Amino acid sequence: MSAIALTIDGLSVDFGGFRAVNNVSITVFDGELRVLLGANGAGKTTLMDLVSGKTHSTQGKVFVYDTEITNWPEHRIARAGIGRKFQVPSVFRDLTVRQNLEVANCRNPSVLANLRFGFSRAEARRVDDVLALIGLEAEHNMMAAYLSHGQTQWLELGMLIVQDPKVVLLDEPTAGMTQAETRKTAEIINNLKGRHTILVVEHDMGFVREIAERITVLHLGEVLAEGSVEDIERNPKVREAYLGTKGIS
Amino acid sequence: MSIERKFQIAAYVLFIAVIFAAPVFGDEFWLNRISKYLVYGMLGVAIALTWGYAGILNLGQGLFFGLGAYMLAMSLKLSSPTSLQQGSDKPVPDFMLWNAEPGAPTQLCCINKGSFLWLPFQSQSVGLVLGIVLPVVIAGALGMLVFRKRISGVFVSIITLALVLLVRLIMVDAQPVTNGFNGLTDLGWLTIGGIEFDPYSRATYYLCAVCLSLTLIGARLIVETRAGMILQAIRDDQVRARYLGFDVSLYQVFFFVISAGIAGVAGMLYVIVAEFASPTFMDLSFSVTMVVWAAVGGRSSLLGACIGAILINMIEAEVSETEALVEAWKAIIGLIFVLVVLFMPRGLGGLAHDVLRQFIRRLRPGSVSSSLQQQSGAL
Repeated sequence: MSAIALTIDGLSVDFGGFRAVNNVSITVFDGELRVLLGANGAGKTTLMDLVSGKTHSTQGKVFVYDTEITNWPEHRIARAGIGRKFQVPSVFRDLTVRQNLEVANCRNPSVLANLRFGFSRAEARRVDDVLALIGLEAEHNMMAAYLSHGQTQWLELGMLIVQDPKVVLLDEPTAGMTQAETRKTAEIINNLKGRHTILVVEHDMGFVREIAERITVLHLGEVLAEGSVEDIERNPKVREAYLGTKGIS
Repeated sequence: MSIERKFQIAAYVLFIAVIFAAPVFGDEFWLNRISKYLVYGMLGVAIALTWGYAGILNLGQGLFFGLGAYMLAMSLKLSSPTSLQQGSDKPVPDFMLWNAEPGAPTQLCCINKGSFLWLPFQSQSVGLVLGIVLPVVIAGALGMLVFRKRISGVFVSIITLALVLLVRLIMVDAQPVTNGFNGLTDLGWLTIGGIEFDPYSRATYYLCAVCLSLTLIGARLIVETRAGMILQAIRDDQVRARYLGFDVSLYQVFFFVISAGIAGVAGMLYVIVAEFASPTFMDLSFSVTMVVWAAVGGRSSLLGACIGAILINMIEAEVSETEALVEAWKAIIGLIFVLVVLFMPRGLGGLAHDVLRQFIRRLRPGSVSSSLQQQSGAL
C-alpha cells in the first residue's frame, strides 16, 4: 500500500475521569476511505474532535503524513490538510451558495492577502466545477439559509472539496436525509475517493455498504475491530457489542 | 452589473452629492450643526462595520471617539490664544494655572505632576496623529485579548462597555491633566497647510464631508474585498471558518481596529467642529445612542447606518426645539426606535432594499429574482 495519510497513535482524552476515547490507534492510507462505526457514545465524534483540534487530547499523537498536529489550533490543523464536515450542517447562512464556496476557495488565510477584489478565472472555474458536482448550480445565487437540509449538507461537502484538504473528516454526512438524498451523497463521496483520504462516521449500514472499503468499529472509546465490510458483519464481538443478536439488518 | 448594484452605487453617489451641495442651503450656524451630524454619520458607519459585518456589538465605541477627541483637543488647547498663560514661550493651559500649587513653576513641563504629558501636544500634528494612532493601538490590544480568548457575543459588549466607563472614570479622576468633568474647552483652531479650520466656516464643513465620504467609500470597498466576505462568513459561523483554516481572531481584530480608527477620526472632527472635548463622550448613553442610530439606519448597511445617524439627529434637533415637544422629545426618539425594531428589524437600509426589489420585479416581471436571492440587504 501507499503512504500513510493519517496516523492516530494511542490517542486518549480524559473528561474529569471519564475516558471518552481510550488509547485509540488507527492508520489510514493515502486515498483510502475509512468508515468509523459505533453505537452512540462510542467516541466517534470525540475522536474527530481530537483529530481536528476542537478538543485537546490528554495522551497520544496525531500525524498528517509526516507532520505531527497533536493539539494544534484548529485553523493550523486545517491548513495542514485536514478538512471537517460537522454533524449539524454548518454553512455561512447569510452568504450566497457561491460565496460560501468562494470563502473556502481563499487559499491564503491571512487578512492582508485577502484585501483584494474578485477571483481569477481559474478560481471561478473551480467554484463552477464544484457547484456542478454537488448539483447546486441553479441555487448558486441563493442565500445558504434558504437551502433544504440535504442541500445544506451538499454545500458543506462542496466547501470541503473546494478547500481540497488531504484528509477529509465527515461526521454523519447523511444524517436526516431522504433515501434519494442519501444516494446522491454517496455519489459525491464516491467521487472524492482516491483524490482524498476520507474518514467517515456513519450509522446507516446501507450507506456504509455503498461507500466503505474498510471499517473501524469503536466501542466505549476503544477500537473493537477493524476490517472489510464482510469481516465486520461476521465479527461476533461486533455483533454482540453493537449490532445486537439480530445482526445487521 | 445587476440593477440592484447600479441602484446601490447611485445611492452612494446621491448621498455624497447631497452632503457636498448642502452649504448652498443654509447659513454658517446651520452648517456647523450639520457638520456634527456628518461626524455622527461616521460613527454610524463604524458601528455598522463591526456590528453588521463582523457581528461584534461594541457598546464602548465612545472610548475610541473620546480618545481621538482628547488627543486633538490637547493640541488645540495649546494653540488657543485666549486660554493660556500668555507672555511666556511655553504657555500653560488655564485650568492648570488655576489649580497650580503656590510656587509651582508655570511651565508645561512641571506645573503639576502630570503636565509633562502635554509637552508633545505643542505640535498640532502630534495631536492629529495620536488621535488616530491611540484608538487604533488600544483597539488592537483589546481585540487581541478578547478575540484570541474567543470571547464573543454579549460578553464582548459587556467588556467594551466596562472599559469605556473605566477610561471615563480615569479621565475624570485625572483632573490636573484632563480638567476632569469640565473637559477641555476654549480651544484654538486647527491649521493645516495655512488653512485655518474655523468651526463656522465652509472649509470645516467640507473637511467633515470629505472625511465622511472617504470613510463610506473606503468601508464599502473593504467589505467587498475577499477579506470582507470572509469576515461575514466568520460572523455567520466562526467554527466553520476556523475549520476552513482562517485565523478568525485576526480578522475580527483587523476590522475592530478599522472601526476604532474611524471613531478616532470622528472624535477629532467633532473637536474641530464643536470646540470642546468632554468626558461625556465616554458616557455609556452616548455609546448606546450610536448603536441606536445604526439599528434605525440598518446595521447591515453602511450607508443606511450613516443616514440613520444623521436623520435621527436632525429629527432630535427639530423636535427638541419645538416648544410643544420640549418635554417629550426623548420619548419621541425612544418611540421611533421601538417602532423601527418592531417593524423594520433591518432598519432603513433593509427597507430601501426591499422597496428596490419590489420595484425591480415590477420593472421586469419576466425575471423572477425571487425574494430568496441575495437577501443580505447590503445597500
